[in-house]
Amino acid sequence: MSLYGMLRTGVSGMNAQSNKLSTISDNIANSGTTGYKRASTEFSSLLLDSTGNQYNSGAVNTTIRYAVSTQGASNYTTSGTDLMIQGDGFFVVQDSSNQAYLTRAGSFTVDASTGNLVNAAGFTLMGYDISDGPASVILNSTEGMVPVNLATAKFSANPTTEGTFAANLPLGSSPSQAIADQKSSLTTYDNLGNAVTLDLTFSYAPGTDAVVGPPPVAAVPGTWTMNVSDRATGQSLVTQALTFDTSGNLSLADPTIDVPIPGGQTMSLDIGNMTNLNGGYTPINPTANGNAASLVKNVTIDKDGTVSAIDSKGQKIPLYQIPLATVPSPDNLDPRAGNVFLTTTDSGAIQMASANSGGAGYIQSGALENSTVDMATELTEMIVAQRDYTANSKVVQTGSELLDVLMNLKR
Amino acid sequence: MSLSLAFNTARSSLTATATQINASTRNVGSAGDPTASRKIAVTTTTATGGAYVIQISRASDTALYTRMISATSETARAEAMKGGLDQLENLVGGPTSTTSAAALLGKFTSALSDYRNSPEESSVGTALVTAAKNLTTAVNSAADSINTVRLDADEAISDSVTTINDLLKQFEAQNNAVIRGTYAGADITDALDKRDAILSKLSEEMGVSTVTRPGNDMVIYTDSGATLFETTARAVTFQPKSVYDGQTVGNSVYVDGVAVAGPDATMTLKSGRIAGLAELRDETTVTYQTQLDEMARALVDGFREVDPSGTLPDAQGLFTALNPNDPGISARLKVKAEVDPAQGGSPKLIRDGGINGASYVQNTGGGDSYSTWLDTLSARMSETRSFSPNGGIVTSATLADYSTSSVGWLSGQRQSWTTQVTSQSSLLTYASEALSNATGINLDDEYVYQLQLEKTYQASSKLISVVNSLYDTLLQIR
Repeated sequence: MSLYGMLRTGVSGMNAQSNKLSTISDNIANSGTTGYKRASTEFSSLLLDSTGNQYNSGAVNTTIRYAVSTQGASNYTTSGTDLMIQGDGFFVVQDSSNQAYLTRAGSFTVDASTGNLVNAAGFTLMGYDISDGPASVILNSTEGMVPVNLATAKFSANPTTEGTFAANLPLGSSPSQAIADQKSSLTTYDNLGNAVTLDLTFSYAPGTDAVVGPPPVAAVPGTWTMNVSDRATGQSLVTQALTFDTSGNLSLADPTIDVPIPGGQTMSLDIGNMTNLNGGYTPINPTANGNAASLVKNVTIDKDGTVSAIDSKGQKIPLYQIPLATVPSPDNLDPRAGNVFLTTTDSGAIQMASANSGGAGYIQSGALENSTVDMATELTEMIVAQRDYTANSKVVQTGSELLDVLMNLKR
Repeated sequence: MSLSLAFNTARSSLTATATQINASTRNVGSAGDPTASRKIAVTTTTATGGAYVIQISRASDTALYTRMISATSETARAEAMKGGLDQLENLVGGPTSTTSAAALLGKFTSALSDYRNSPEESSVGTALVTAAKNLTTAVNSAADSINTVRLDADEAISDSVTTINDLLKQFEAQNNAVIRGTYAGADITDALDKRDAILSKLSEEMGVSTVTRPGNDMVIYTDSGATLFETTARAVTFQPKSVYDGQTVGNSVYVDGVAVAGPDATMTLKSGRIAGLAELRDETTVTYQTQLDEMARALVDGFREVDPSGTLPDAQGLFTALNPNDPGISARLKVKAEVDPAQGGSPKLIRDGGINGASYVQNTGGGDSYSTWLDTLSARMSETRSFSPNGGIVTSATLADYSTSSVGWLSGQRQSWTTQVTSQSSLLTYASEALSNATGINLDDEYVYQLQLEKTYQASSKLISVVNSLYDTLLQIR
């Protein structure tokens, strides 16, 4: 048995080394492929039962490993739709037959015919549609995900729902001193994206001064009233009396007032930072959300995976949320053509996570993940594999020569 | 991964250095533009050790910029006031002028005294009338000059409002570019520079204060708090007047529906050209007008005729004006035709009384050397009178003292605003210099920086050639 066993062992060694050379050649070929994860070969010995003084040579088993969990170096580009994951997560992509895969190859571009974000291997990026509010995420499935489509970035308007306004209101030298109305305006938007200019008028009702007496009379402080009115119609929307504490800070139980915007939503206006100190009328921090209808000029992708359209007014409209998928054992994923992976029982099931929170890492726009192949390692490995292959062939050659000797015993 | 990583690092360094050189080149290119700020390519280390440019930012100093803006507004206000007062003093004559109302009042007083001494000389009487006519002409032209200055100020306010509206439109475009660029992560430094330049031009016209909202969105308020720009430009409106006379009240400037300058102002601007022009148009010139009116009123009152029998009411004498109690009397002051030889009148009526008819004749005897009435008139001229407090100067003085005081007031105002201009503009110079030192482009710095970048670039390319030769060694093993 032993001579034949030696031949088979030699052949299995040659097979193993040729497997290794195959992975090396793949690695070298893909040393420039975005998101490529280096493949390596691990060998394990296969022993046959040996009895007494008889040794039966076994064989060598090859296992292919993929270093999927190793992060590649970043390569900065000038395209905003080039995405890279800093961390452990994967993009969820799908092929033309709607089969979902995981990938880290983030060289996405907008496909002209569909408007989808498609990477170099032709896979479509998936995300949650958040244009109508937060998405409902199913944590262990890709259900509910849709292709990230930038062609449908709508010509849309958002009504104003929140705002802040703060200002210092002037203080007279005495409570009875009259102070002229102070007025500022704030641009808000109704449901159709029309700008509604709100006038914020602060009027002062003088109090009375203290009288030294006798009899002494305490001073009655004047009162400020805030009135919010619609500029176009002059209609008063809400009136709020403002009271200030002894430090001049607003003392209202609820410092937000509800302003019903004509034709729009009710804006909750936070006026908590109003002050009444001895200084001029100075508005600070006037904000209101919402935007007018306008064309999409640009698309940005944030660290947390929010795909937003930027319209011609500079307003940011969130469209999609790109989640990241993680698996318990990324190295056991099943690689498929196009730098994509399928989950296996060994890798475990996917877990959906938001980017930039939890352990999935964050999404960097304008960068790509380089292949994890190092040329020097591959070349040295190749030299070693070649030597090993040659050595194995010598074993086969020796076995063959010995068999020749055996055959020549009988003439 | 080490050799490939070294390659990658060197490559990223080359890209980053190229971007930095680009930023530096832009700095050198715009070194001549005073509004341009220094651009800085901010680099950071990547996770694997390379370098990359995260953004182009610019040198800025908000505190110095705010100081510069407010100094610009203050200077513009002082210059507007000084310009108007210079013009006014040129037109009406200063303390040394021989044709000013005050100087001619002196000549008229001595002509009156001459006539009192030789009442029989008709040529002296004629000289008195001539002096009176010169005086009224000077007072009339001073009143006209005030109206000219007010009209000019009104036109300047109108021009300024047009400029502001233009600037706000430009500001809106740049502000949108800044917001869009901020959200898209683009290079917004040029848009920021342009926006700052527009804001500093705006601050010349009116004092402003700004609030920056998320996304670099800027909101502009006037220094009194009225909204000038918030998402969109607010309307700044003003109705100019085509004519100014003594009673005209100019219109107010409205920002976003709030009067900020002019008679109706509730949130009054504190600085800027419009603040200066409005003060000139509605306060300083009006005060000076009141002083002239008071003088004209004193002349009319001083030469009023009295009915010796006491039946008829007092009537206007040598000097006459319609509605003497209304503002603008100085423009209407004139010499009565009855005493003017050029209009067929007789100067003797001054001596004898009776300009308003026989009932007012004082010299009932008809003697040629009658001087009693002239004595009365002369005494009235030198008596202490009370003047309106709205004149802003003495309220109790002789007419001569009042007119001297008025000349002094105008010249004092001009002096004080000239000093203001000098001090404010030197403040502005300091603020601008400090800002320029902090944020401006220094060519020497740029050259040195470029030399450094050149060395970095060379070192990075050297690294690439070293790694390359290492690979060559590896490949030559077999």
